[in-house]
Amino acid sequence: MVTLRLKIFLCIAIIFFFVSIFYLIKKKYLSLKYSLMWLFSGIVVFLIILFPEGFSSLMGKLGLITPANGLFAICIFLFMLMLLLLTSVISRINTKIKRLIQSIGILEKKIRELEEKKDIQ
Amino acid sequence: MKSLVIIPAYNEQDNIEKVLTDLKKYAPDMDYLVVNDCSKDNTLDILETAHCSYIDLPVNVGIGGGVQTGYLYAYKNNYDIAIQMDGDGQHNAEYLNALIHPIVDGTANMVIGSRYINKEGFQSSFMRRLGIKFLSGLIRICTGAKILDVTSGFRAVDKKMIALFAREYADDYPEPESIVVAARKGAKITEIPVIMNERVGGVSSISGLKTVYYMIKVSLSIILLRVSQGEDKW
Repeated sequence: MVTLRLKIFLCIAIIFFFVSIFYLIKKKYLSLKYSLMWLFSGIVVFLIILFPEGFSSLMGKLGLITPANGLFAICIFLFMLMLLLLTSVISRINTKIKRLIQSIGILEKKIRELEEKKDIQ
Repeated sequence: MKSLVIIPAYNEQDNIEKVLTDLKKYAPDMDYLVVNDCSKDNTLDILETAHCSYIDLPVNVGIGGGVQTGYLYAYKNNYDIAIQMDGDGQHNAEYLNALIHPIVDGTANMVIGSRYINKEGFQSSFMRRLGIKFLSGLIRICTGAKILDVTSGFRAVDKKMIALFAREYADDYPEPESIVVAARKGAKITEIPVIMNERVGGVSSISGLKTVYYMIKVSLSIILLRVSQGEDKW
């Protein structure tokens, strides 16, 4: 059973979590776009902390024997989603970097030929 | 005063020529820069053939990054005034001189061309107007700046703002956020009434489910900007 003391401790932890995220966004170490997922996860966890009984009954209806299993399942699911999001972002960034590298290569050729033309004159 | 008109363009092959003709007609003494954001259609060919002033970005970077390229260019080339104008033909070049007037006067640091002062011309859909009203109210609460058309990309800024936006400009849906960033730096922001046209060719970059994400993201950004410590003046 979730004691009041545990609830308070978890609430403080979640508030600290949110404050950290906002701090990182403010300092521009984390962009708002990608932090939306973290914020959403934080809200879900916060709701579970506030309504553990509701969460337990929901888990029961889904056929889980202990609500703890449900909690772990949700956490693992959220982590997988985050990882999926991150790997897709990395893939897109890689493509952009490749394109940048290619453009720089082509620009270098242009500049080199312009310089050679200047030298010849 | 040296002015630069920044025209972000993504897949605007249907509209960009008319935008440039209008520009040359109503503001022939203003410099301009088309920022082609890696368009997939014939926009680049049209720009090349027209021998106009443009930058061709090697990778698509979005509206925020595209416009910021213009601000960076304006900063590096020492422009006194920078004006943003859409590449889709929704903004009319005939308002350009009226738009920069408060800056030349010294009465404002930033001037926004607003559809909603006189409520003439294209007013956009009901849902969008509702969203814009909400953001306008939010911005007023967070900064005190009374702006009606907070999503208008038709705006002029002075030298200080050019330096600011060249440094910091949001990547997506930057218009409302940039108002807040400017206001928190103590900028004087005014609006002038303009008539905008409905988009003729091409597709708008904000539609459908994206609007929900837009509202959440922009509102959150505005609140976060407000919550950061104090007003950092120049």
